[in-house]
Amino acid sequence: MTDLEQLQTALHSLKVLRSNVGIAFESVSNGLRADHGEDGKENKFILELQELLSTVNNNLRDVEGAVSNLSIPPGPFALGNTIYLSQEVTQERQSLYVQLVNSYKWTDKIRDYSALAGNILASNSVNKTYKTFSTTKRRKTQTSTHNVPPEVIENLITGIDRLFPDVTITASRPFVPNPVIQASLSRVLKAVIAFKGLMIEWVVVKAHSESNDLWTESRYKVFKKVTENCHAAMCHFHSPTMPELAVKSFMHWFHSYNTLFSNPCKRCGNYLYSNLPPTWRDLRTLEPYHEECK
Amino acid sequence: MGVTILQQFPIENRTGPATIELLTKRISALGAVQQGHFLVDCETYSSVANLGPPRTVHVLHNSEQPASCFSILDTGTKTIPLAADGLFDLLMLKMNYFYQAKKQTKAESKGPRFEIGDFCVKLGTVTVSQNFKGILVEVEYRPCVVPGMCWELIREFMQGVLGSSVQSNPPPYLATRMQENYTPIDTIHQYLEHFTMFRKSPGMRT
Repeated sequence: MTDLEQLQTALHSLKVLRSNVGIAFESVSNGLRADHGEDGKENKFILELQELLSTVNNNLRDVEGAVSNLSIPPGPFALGNTIYLSQEVTQERQSLYVQLVNSYKWTDKIRDYSALAGNILASNSVNKTYKTFSTTKRRKTQTSTHNVPPEVIENLITGIDRLFPDVTITASRPFVPNPVIQASLSRVLKAVIAFKGLMIEWVVVKAHSESNDLWTESRYKVFKKVTENCHAAMCHFHSPTMPELAVKSFMHWFHSYNTLFSNPCKRCGNYLYSNLPPTWRDLRTLEPYHEECK
Repeated sequence: MGVTILQQFPIENRTGPATIELLTKRISALGAVQQGHFLVDCETYSSVANLGPPRTVHVLHNSEQPASCFSILDTGTKTIPLAADGLFDLLMLKMNYFYQAKKQTKAESKGPRFEIGDFCVKLGTVTVSQNFKGILVEVEYRPCVVPGMCWELIREFMQGVLGSSVQSNPPPYLATRMQENYTPIDTIHQYLEHFTMFRKSPGMRT
């Protein structure tokens, strides 16, 4: 570690030396300037030059000192296969080394961050995959939530469709096991819901007149807010052990938005707060609240 | 296109521009941003005598639907609405022999247009053949298409801006259509109702 610090100081003093040499040369090449005045301008110039040169001298001493502190590396550096890059002759490939170093730095950072994230996430139980660590009682292997036969999802969707008469569901399957359904909630709004196996992966809420695109958000503020709240609810209801129940409870909660415009806030009794209707529905009681009132 | 409620704002002892300024100040204080201007105009044609029982055609334009031309045919017993392309105006010129424009009845409502959250508010100065008649305020709530669902919500918003002059019941034209999907022609109907009343009143309607 101290080696590295010494190397850093040596490099730094070298940089300072270079910059000051640069300044000295610049001053010499510019010659006499207007700010030297009229009387004794030559003397002033010489003095200035002397000053610059003495700084350069000092810097040079610093560099020599720093360099003498450095320890000589014990053997050749182990660069692995990268040493062969030096034998590359074509012009355009010579920049590969810089890219290599950059990507090395990136992967190094990723390792650090992922280790940190792993530590933090381990203490919070938002596991998307279900694992039992008990060895005494071996349960039968859990059905995966990612990889389920399409019929199971199909059944789930038709089940939901039957559960709520004012929710109409149309499904499309851009990728075979993962359907994207479009759920219209009477005449209030529609939601585009993407599934990943039996899990809800993404929800976008929009007005009926807007496109079914999964990636563009609604142009209305109220539906943007509802989309945000749907994401919160999607995470809240998520349960890896009972994926079907999670989807059903989410749809049950979602269904309560059919009174989005027609029910006042339970807390303040008004329809509007900062020009938005009550966009939050309580997760258990399904009562409407403004975001600021909940 | 959302649900729109049109209502008259009493002038009391102010002038027209002063009333618009008052409302502009109020709504700007609530955080609204002005987005240009708007214009709704209405021209009325009546059928000539030898065409049988008298009929009236109202032709309206709304700057919110700039490519369309709306017309409402009033036969006395029923009204037939029609939304057509802008070319309909030229067709009316061709039908000059059957339908003639009434003199001095061109009605207009124009003024600034504001957006605040999902609401769109238009403050219109109404003139009938260049004579100032009153102030019409249009409030549109764009995310919702069913008047019955959001009437209470719009009323609360209007009370915040216009104060006590807001009616507690929806406009009579909408009251019978609360559960139907709202379309631009419904806005036109509301404007026509108000224009007809403005034309009947001799001076300013307060």
